[in-house]
Amino acid sequence: MRVFFATDIHGSEICWRKFLNAASFYKADVVVLGGDVTGKVMVPITAHNGYWQVVFGGEDRRIETREELEQVERQIRNRGSYPAIVTPDELSWLSKEESAVDQRFSVEMLSSLDRWLDMADGKLKGGAIPCVLNGGNDDFFEIDPVIESSPCVTFAEGKLLDLDGFSLVSMGWTNPTPWDTFREAPEEELAQKIDAVAQLVPDMERAIFNFHAPPYGTGLDEAPALDASLRPIRGGVVMKSVGSTAVRDAINKYQPMLSIHGHIHESRGVKKMGRTLAINPGSVYGDGVLQGALLELNAKKGKVGKYLLVNG
Amino acid sequence: MATDAIGEERPALFLRKATGLVRGWSVRDSIIYACLATNFVTLGIYEFTLAGPAFPKGQLISAVIISGIWVSFLVIAYAGLIVTIPRAGGDYVWQTRILGSGLGFVMAVTGWWFILWLWAPIYGNILSVQLFQPLWATLKWTWPAGGAAWFGTKNGIFVVTLITIALAGILVSIGMAGYARIQRWCFIGGMIGFLVIVGLLLFNSRSTFISSFNLEAHRLFGTANAYANTNHLAAKAGYTTSSLGFGPLGATMLLVPAMMFFILWPNWGATLYGEIRGASDFRRVFAGMFVGLWITVALTVIFLLLMAKTVGWGFYQNLNALSYNTTPQFGIWPYPFLFAGWLVHNTAFQVVLILVLSLWFFGWVGTLFLSSTRVIFAAAFDRVLPDRAAEVSEKRKVPLYSLVLMLLPAVGLGAVYAYSATFRTYTYDAVLVIAVTYLFSAIAVVILPWRKPDLWRASPASKVRVFGVQIVPLAGLVTIGLLVFNLYEWFSNDNYFVNNRDSLYYMGAMYVLAIALYVTAYFVRRRQGIDLGLINKEIPVE
Repeated sequence: MRVFFATDIHGSEICWRKFLNAASFYKADVVVLGGDVTGKVMVPITAHNGYWQVVFGGEDRRIETREELEQVERQIRNRGSYPAIVTPDELSWLSKEESAVDQRFSVEMLSSLDRWLDMADGKLKGGAIPCVLNGGNDDFFEIDPVIESSPCVTFAEGKLLDLDGFSLVSMGWTNPTPWDTFREAPEEELAQKIDAVAQLVPDMERAIFNFHAPPYGTGLDEAPALDASLRPIRGGVVMKSVGSTAVRDAINKYQPMLSIHGHIHESRGVKKMGRTLAINPGSVYGDGVLQGALLELNAKKGKVGKYLLVNG
Repeated sequence: MATDAIGEERPALFLRKATGLVRGWSVRDSIIYACLATNFVTLGIYEFTLAGPAFPKGQLISAVIISGIWVSFLVIAYAGLIVTIPRAGGDYVWQTRILGSGLGFVMAVTGWWFILWLWAPIYGNILSVQLFQPLWATLKWTWPAGGAAWFGTKNGIFVVTLITIALAGILVSIGMAGYARIQRWCFIGGMIGFLVIVGLLLFNSRSTFISSFNLEAHRLFGTANAYANTNHLAAKAGYTTSSLGFGPLGATMLLVPAMMFFILWPNWGATLYGEIRGASDFRRVFAGMFVGLWITVALTVIFLLLMAKTVGWGFYQNLNALSYNTTPQFGIWPYPFLFAGWLVHNTAFQVVLILVLSLWFFGWVGTLFLSSTRVIFAAAFDRVLPDRAAEVSEKRKVPLYSLVLMLLPAVGLGAVYAYSATFRTYTYDAVLVIAVTYLFSAIAVVILPWRKPDLWRASPASKVRVFGVQIVPLAGLVTIGLLVFNLYEWFSNDNYFVNNRDSLYYMGAMYVLAIALYVTAYFVRRRQGIDLGLINKEIPVE
């Protein structure tokens, strides 16, 4: 069985479209998106009388036509941001009121996700190509029921899924980050969550751990070290392990066949941990490139036959 | 959900609470990095010993300034690449993405891995002549046999090369976390040392220098009237130098390819930039490299002017010429900072000065294999190299196999370098191969707007315009001009010692090895059912 795994597309619509096409492009039997689906940035487009105004990519642009507006919106979405059309009054309100921004973010994220799932319906032939999604630490909880309700996408968080005889268990939670994001928990709590899903696995030799956080100290989890004010130290050349010890310990303890991760975009790599092949394909969603891992699972032997990290 | 509004009067965007949103890194750190990479002391002064006598009609100051201006375009081109594709891995990532997997691999492994095997003995030789020789001479140590001069012998060069390789290997194992701290202190200490040299040369007259030089040369080496003797020996060897000035341009331009030995590296940190470091800020990225480069140019010009004022331009060039053409005066490499230190007749002061100035070396040597590790890892993850090449021991965090891939060939090449005087002349090969890698990155930046139009349009680099013209691809063209000019001179002028059969064989062998590696990997992987051609194939969007 061939699995395509990608992660951390952070709202990039171009990456989402590529993800939906990945099954046919790579001839994959199943596609898995490992979390951090939603974007981090909202770009306001101010509607004036007969024109719109936006600052995007460092340029202050005046938009005259609907076609041009659609094009700009598409560019913004492709970069992983949400275009938000606002009146000048709304913009001024948003710039003053934090809760108003939060609300607007939620609206834009959910409507974007709705559109994405509609696209998926067409591309994945109404569920004929299995597609698995789960949340990541940056995804707020409101997206869960939206994905859950989709007929062509399976929401994997905290569940055991059977993929043609292989067991996939998923968890989007991570160890604490300096940004205090949505799905974070102390290591002890993470260990409990992992144990809870691991208990569901009938045969670890055919198990796939789909945990957003990479295992600590494996080279799949290296990010620039930051000072107290979140500034990379020494020009960003100093890297440190920021992965989860609970994930590392779980892999060492359960020794699944495969363990797939994300979260740390720059730590693309592969690590053999005992019999487990651990992979973080990384993410460069901002470039519109979908990094992923192409995994050939050998059903007979219960192991990963081949793998390839790709930049699609 | 905490949010931030970005923009002054009218917010341009809103950020929500999410991982990876960091404040910009300090430009000062990247200036230090660029400054240490274009290391005026370790590489620059070493280079003047070779370039000055090889092109006696050329003007060093003009050559440095011309090189600085020309390399500034390379800085713009690389800043453009960094902000467009801010990925750790630099040239490897850009070239594989823009030009194709095979070409990217060949250029990256030759320029960022194989050729660094040669840099190891070159660095070893620099350590030998800028630390061990002057230290031994100052302390009048006579062990090993020959004292300071032993470090210039075949055995001496090999032993110091081994020390250098071991040092670089240990520092890779320690990791950048510890080394970066050392690096900053080395830079500060090295700068203080340089300021002491500036003070000594600025506040002393030529006559004071001559008498100090004669006195110390007699005390340490037993040479009488050493200043006049140096000039006499150089004249006897038929060496004539032009006086310090700014022309003629033709002869000076021949010095430009030689200046690349130290000026060409302000972008050395490009392999280390990544998304999280705020690399998409063009001005910051550019400023770090540009200021670092021009600090180096400024230090060089100040040094050369002070040498002309106090030491005497002709005398300085004669010292270099003796070392280059015949036998070095006193039997050791003519380290100008050693001679400047002689203005103070105190052994302890002289020793401390040598040690402090060696910080320029120690602040940089740890990065010798850093980029190689990254390229080896990237190639292993791309399945071109065996998976083991990217293995890191869990206990000690040492990238054992990649270290072996770097260290063992470096030791072998170090032996060849030490025991073959001919091979030692291939210094510019070490620059040339990296320049070829840069050339392909420059080509990548020029064709980027056509090859990846969406990526380019979205890049902050596409917004950098002068008189409405996008400056980054233009800078790429100027960079191609710089590199093609240098390559032409290296290949056509015998004075760079590149244009000879063995040197060409040596460099050619590296490209053959790289191509062989890729082709072998391609077919081996294909037999395993892995298509390397898929790695960078873009998934259709619609």
